[in-house]
This record gives sequence, structure tokens and C-alpha cells, in this order.
Amino acid sequence: MAKKIGVFICYCGENIASKVDVKELATYAETLDDVVVSQTYKYMCSEGGATLIKETIKKHQLDGVVIASCSPRMHEQTFRGVVQEGGLNPFTLEIANIREHCSWIHDDKKVATEKAKKIVAGAVAKARLLESLETPKIQVKPGAVVIGGGIAGIQASLDLAEAGQQVYLVEKSPTIGGRMAQLDKTFPTLDCSGCILTPKMKDVANHPNIKLLTYAEVTGIEGTVGNYTVKVKKKARYVDFETCKGCGDCAVACRLHDRITSEFDMGMGKRSAIYLPFPQAVPPKYTIDKDTCLMLTRGKCGTGPLCVEACPENAIDFKQQDEEISLEVGALIVATGYDVLDPTQLYEYGYAESQDVITSMEMERLINSSGPTDGKIVQPSTGENPKSVTYILCVGSRDQTECSWCCRIGCMSALKQIYLIKEKLGDDIEINICYTDIRSFGKGYEEFYRNIRGMNVNFFRGRPSEVRPGEKQLTIDIYDTTTSKLFEISTDLVVLVPALVPRDDADAFAKMLRISQSADRFLLEAHPKLRPMDTFTTGIFIAGSCQGPKDIQDSVSHASGAAARALNILSKKEYETEPFISVVEEDLCSGCSTCIAACPYDAISLVEQKEGNAVARVDETLCMGCGACVVVCPSGAMQQKGFKDKQLRAIINACVE
Amino acid sequence: MTKVVFYPGCVMPTEQYAYEMSIREVMPKVGIELVDVKGFSCCGTPLKSVNQMVTLTLSARNLALAEQEGHDIFAPCSICHLGLSEAKHVLDDDRSMKERINTFLADENLEYKGTSKLYHTVDLLHDVVTVDAIIKAVKTPLKDMKIATHYGCHLIRPSEIGRPDDAENPQKMETILKALGGQPVYYPEKLDCCGGLLTANLPESALTKTGQKLQRVQEQGFDVFVDACPWCHRQFDAKQQQAAKTVGGEIAMPVLYLTQLLGIAMGIKKEKLGVQLNQSPVEKIQVGGT
Repeated sequence: MAKKIGVFICYCGENIASKVDVKELATYAETLDDVVVSQTYKYMCSEGGATLIKETIKKHQLDGVVIASCSPRMHEQTFRGVVQEGGLNPFTLEIANIREHCSWIHDDKKVATEKAKKIVAGAVAKARLLESLETPKIQVKPGAVVIGGGIAGIQASLDLAEAGQQVYLVEKSPTIGGRMAQLDKTFPTLDCSGCILTPKMKDVANHPNIKLLTYAEVTGIEGTVGNYTVKVKKKARYVDFETCKGCGDCAVACRLHDRITSEFDMGMGKRSAIYLPFPQAVPPKYTIDKDTCLMLTRGKCGTGPLCVEACPENAIDFKQQDEEISLEVGALIVATGYDVLDPTQLYEYGYAESQDVITSMEMERLINSSGPTDGKIVQPSTGENPKSVTYILCVGSRDQTECSWCCRIGCMSALKQIYLIKEKLGDDIEINICYTDIRSFGKGYEEFYRNIRGMNVNFFRGRPSEVRPGEKQLTIDIYDTTTSKLFEISTDLVVLVPALVPRDDADAFAKMLRISQSADRFLLEAHPKLRPMDTFTTGIFIAGSCQGPKDIQDSVSHASGAAARALNILSKKEYETEPFISVVEEDLCSGCSTCIAACPYDAISLVEQKEGNAVARVDETLCMGCGACVVVCPSGAMQQKGFKDKQLRAIINACVE
Repeated sequence: MTKVVFYPGCVMPTEQYAYEMSIREVMPKVGIELVDVKGFSCCGTPLKSVNQMVTLTLSARNLALAEQEGHDIFAPCSICHLGLSEAKHVLDDDRSMKERINTFLADENLEYKGTSKLYHTVDLLHDVVTVDAIIKAVKTPLKDMKIATHYGCHLIRPSEIGRPDDAENPQKMETILKALGGQPVYYPEKLDCCGGLLTANLPESALTKTGQKLQRVQEQGFDVFVDACPWCHRQFDAKQQQAAKTVGGEIAMPVLYLTQLLGIAMGIKKEKLGVQLNQSPVEKIQVGGT
């Protein structure tokens, strides 16, 4: 039965009408087969336009609609609503883009009008073949998994929990707190990092809606938006979580007391094999490091493990095993943070050659009053206060041979440390800073920078060619581009501010979660401006520096945003997904399985038919409508709803006629 | 035997004979057969600041001549090696430039194709000959000899066109010298420039760079200073006393080409390696026969 198609052409003020003869186009449209009516309107997206469309649908009993206007990216949703209110299935609408694809890019009105005719003819050809589609609805399970317990993960968890969601916060180290817990003070306000962070850590621990899973890692994920099953491995702490009171007698007694390099102190301090990363750790439960503990590596610890003797609660249990648990949630937020580039591989900076070349994170632990030196800033080779400290910014950052990107926190963290060093060691200490550009872009940052500029600090604009270890001091050759002079700096302590890089397991982790990475290997957002917290996998969101380097304020904003985005899904009982999923024409399918290999969402499987032939079948809840299976199908059996081969071929035929 | 086309350049055949002598002596004994080709010219590098097209054409011409033999190319002079590498980089990357240069070469019935790889002494020994073969060839190990290596700027920079070793942490010479039983030791001035290319415009600055580096090497108690570039060698060896005078100090540092020291460790007579042509106090080196 022939369709009754209505064509609606928009002037878009002058946007379309100045280059396309709209009246001529409307007359042309009426000549096309199955088109029963053709209307024009100044702004089709306005209330008047909507009324016109709805009334025309009723008057002419249309069963197909073509709207010739702007890109479907602008108003397809609007017009679907209008068509639906007119009494039609919203997917019997086809948009002919005669603005971005025509009027905006052509100068000659005659040519543009002819092209617009072809575009409309194509849209009508497709509209003849459009079918009514239903939007699948998915039941949404409440609750979310947040991966990573740094400030971003903490903020996202608290926001979700306050909105009434059950949150599972999974952190791979023994404590939450992340990088922020390692910092002394924060720029530009010089708030004590611990003082503003620890209350939030306590809030997480005490919140009735948050289940904290520290020393645990996500190992697998199944399902799709609204229905995720997340597998988590709880690593053995070898300390009973319930009975440990966190008194610390075990760590003092440990035979390896003060002999294991502390990761939390960035290698500047020591810990025992049984340890709490720092005094305010949450949860305040000790953990045995199985890679160094004598009992766990050699099966023997002197005459007997001293931690067991020391523990008043009998909490130590060497027989503890890793445990796998499975969580059912509707959404995930990934907040796995960043790594700091190891400058050992950058030989020109002398990090491998001299212990008096340290990183800014190492300096952070030296400045911190609860750090390994109790806040005494020392030159590692001598243990004395340095008389001259030189900062080198952009180590590996903004460097085509290492990391092309800016780390976004290097300049400000160095300026902050310089302020704190001056505060502790007095204004007499010589401070040099080798910078590329000072990027002080945030609120209050420029003012902080100006303040440091007014202090007794030598600024050199350029990149040192080399840090050269000498007998007493280090020397640095630097060409200052502001004075066009070559300087040789002699200094006691060099602080490198290295690039921020994706976690070393970022590739495997992204693959496991089926989310994308950008070229820099950070996790990829769905849109750099308008969907910065979304991934291309619906229901999985990203927060903080796992998406790209961020300072604390940006991480917190990003995390609250991610929580709000997740709540968009979690707050609904049912979630509507796109109807443009793949479907198999089983008569044509030979069961070759090519589509199964191509599907990134494991949505396709082979099913037996009664004659014993196997055919592919698409799980509608798992299919994301990416179309990868359609392209690889050798027989044309795999088709995407709304974009079937015959529908697309009709457009092409109409355009080239 | 692996055949390579030997491209001597200008400095070795006119002045730095010892480098060529030691190469011709050592290479066949570690499995490298040197193929000589008639008609080579200057590599073109000295003209670079005057006319880049001429530079490129000269380099391409030499490469095209070598390619005709069907072997890879061995250019022991770091300056030539860089010039030829730059030409290869440009021509292999830019088709229209390659076509243009080839129209110039057509007069001599030559065509640059880009079929041969380019080697320097350091990567030829390290990557092609390999350390295992070198260890087998050693007859008199350089026992406990404390060696300072000098790579020279042209050999390792700029990395983006592909150089025989890393720009910031070159290690191939060290690996070779360890295979000879020697002790190459890191020193902070390792990557400092020889000063050679300043000679034309700022002769005193050139000698200051040379002298400062040798002074620091001497202070740190090295037995021998090893290089692999005729330009660098000229500074450190032939001009050592001039450099000492310029920096106002006494310098007596034996300087050898990498291939000379390799030959000594292989038990080859020093005379055959051209050691008598060196002007630094090489008599201090006890290992090996005359």
C-alpha cells in the first residue's frame, strides 16, 4: 500500500531561504511519488511550525513525514516529539538536512536549490521504507560501583549516597585518600590537604549507603546499562578486618620495622611489612605486604612472627585468602586517577645519577609535617637543609618525544612548594625555577603566581639542556629565552615536576570495562565539551584525572558531575534506550559467526534453528547499535533498524537519479 | 661476510688516515667486507647553509651510487652520516622532492631509490657485527682500562631523523668496550661538544670546549679517551696541546678511535691501526704490541 508522505520545508529565517528557493523546492516535493502534501514555514521548530505539522498529519492522514531543515543533531528529537503528538510513530520521520549540508556551504542559489531537491528526494525515498520502531525499556537496578578512592571517587560516592543510592567504593590500596592524602598544602588557598580531606574520608566510612571495599580490585564486568554485574577481588590483608583496632603494635614489633620503602612517602621514608599507609588512613586497619613479609615470602620469621605476639586482638591470620565477590548495580563511575612519569628514563635530568635530584611528589612528602622527615626539608645526600633549590617544570610534559600534553598542575604545585620552602627555610634560601610558560589559569591562581613573582625567586624561561651532578653541587645549563642568555646554575637540590600519565594498567583496564581511550591513553569522554563525564558505554562514567590531568577543584567538579550523570539513569525504574539496534534476517544468515567476532558488546550469539542450522541472534538489551556487525556481515543478513541497507540504497538511488 | 659499501667522505682520506686504516684492518676480521665504489663526492653537508638543494643532490647522488651495488652503506664520519641520513629522511618522506632530485641525477643515469640502510661505525659494530662476534675476536682484553667515551653531537642528534644511538643516554660504545674487557665509566661531561664546528668562526671558543672536556676527563683519572668521528678526533688528538694552552692547563690524555682500540684488543699491531699517526700521548697505553 502506498504511503502518504508530507514534506515540511523550513526557511530557517534567512539561513536556508537566502541560498535555497524554498517555494520552488516545495513545488518540486509535491511532484515526488507518494508525497500528498508539501508545506513551508519560517521556523519549523517554533510552536507555529509544530502546530502546522500536527494539523497537516491529521488532515491528510499522513503515515510518513519528511522535514527539510537543519542537521538532525539540532532538532531530530524535537520533531520526533511533534510527529508523535500528531499521532504517528516517532521513527516514521526523516530529516533532510538542507542547512549544514546545503545552504550554509554553497554560494550559488541555483546550484543550492538543485542540491536541496536531491536531498529532499533522498529523504522521501527513505521515508517510503521507514518502519515503526519501539524504544526498548530496561529495568534499572539501583546502586553504583565507584572505582578508585581518591578525591574524585570520594566525592562521587558521597554525592550518590546522599541521593539515596547504595554505593560500593572499590579502592586497590589499603586506604582511601589517593594523591590528595600525600599532599601537604593545596594551591592557591594553602589549605592543609589532610585537614580538608580526612573529614570527607570519615564521611565515606560512616555513610550508611556506602560500602567501602579497600585493598580490592575490579576484575571483570558483565551486562549493560542498568544491569551491571561487577566482579571484585578482595585481596587478603592477612589481618582480620573486624578485630583489628589499628593500634599499630604489630608494625613496631615487625622484624622489618623501618626497612621497607614506603609507597605513600614516595620512597622518601620507610615502613614495616605490616603497615598502615599513614596515621589517618581509612579504614584504620593494618595490612601485611605479602611481597616483603618474611612469613609470607619464606614461610618463616625468626623464631616466630613478632606481629602475632604483639597483637592484643589476635587479628593476624596468615591463612587468609583472596576473596571474589560480585556486585549488581545500575551504573559505574571510574575514578582511577593518574601516575607520575618516572623521570629515570629522562637521562638529561640526572634523576638516576644523583640522589639530590627529586620529584615534586617526593618534595611534597619532605615538606609534609607528618612525612618521613617530620617536615624538615633536606638534601637527601647530606641530610642538611639545602641553601639553593632549583625547580624544573614540564619534565616530560609538553614534549613531543614524551608526553605532548600539559600536566595542568605542575606550575601551581611548584609555586606552592616554593612558598612553603620560603616559609620554612626563610627568604635567604636561593630558589630558581626553570619554566616553559607559567599556566596559572584557575580562580585565584594568577594572584598566587603574582605573589611568588614578588618574592626573591629567580625565574628562567627555558628548558635546561642537562642537570649535571658535580662533587658538591649540581649544575644546570639553561638558555633563558626572555634575556637570550645562557646561564649556568649551581644548586644543592633539584626538584623535577614530571608529567602526569595514565595508570600503567590503563590499556587492560579500559579493555576490561569496554570503554575507549584517547591517543594519550587517558580514558575518553563521549564529547570533549558537552559530555565530559560520559563514556561511549552507557552507564559507565569517568571522574577526575583518569580522563586527563586535573587539579583538586576540577576533579571534585568532574566527580560531582559524573555522579549527577549516573543519577540520571539510577533515578529511573526504567531506562529507554535507542531503537536503532541490529536485527538478523534469519533466512539470509549462514551462521558464519563473523558478526560475533566484530561485536564489541558480546551482544550476538548463535542459536540452533529446528533444521539444525545455526543463525546469529542479537540480544536487544546488550546491542548498542554501533553497526560493526552490519558492516562485516558477508550475506547482508545483519541489518540495523532505521538504517537498513534497502533504506540507505533508496536515498542513494534518489540522489543520483 | 656481510658486504657494505664504504663511503669515506673527505676528512678521512685527506687527513684522518688512522681512522680509515683501523677500519680497513678491523672490519674484515669481524665479518664485514668493505666494498669500494668509484665516483663518490663530498657528502654535501658543508654546503648546507649555502644551498640546500645542492646539499640534497650531492647526498642523494652518493646514496644512489652506493645503492647500485645492492648493499647497505657504511659512513664512518659522523658529519657525512648525518648529512646522508637527513637526505634519506627527506627523500623517503617527500615523494615530490625525490622526483625532483632524481631529475638532476638522471644526467648521470643515476636514481635514488632508498633501498639501502645507512650505518656508522658504532651501530655497524653493535647491531650488525654484534657483541658476541666481537667477544670471540678479542685476543688481548683491555684489562681494567678506564675508558671515557665521546659520541659527538652529530652521531646522536637529532633523534627524529633516526640516529645510531640514543640522544640522552647513548650506550652502544660502552657495550662494545665492555665486550673488549674495558671499563667504560660514566662522567658528567660525556655528551659535551668537541668544539670542532666552531673552529671557522670562533677558534678560541672551539679550543676552550675541547680543552675543558679533556681537563675534566683527565681529572677523573681516565686511561684513554675514545671517539668515533674524524672531526671530534682532530680536536681531541691533533689539537690537544693547542687546547691545553687555551685553557691554561697541562693535558696528556691518550685519544684513540674506537676501531683502533678494538684492533688493539683483537691483537692487531698498533702500526697497522695507524696508532703512530695519533698526536696525543698514545704511548701511555700499555696493552697490545707495537
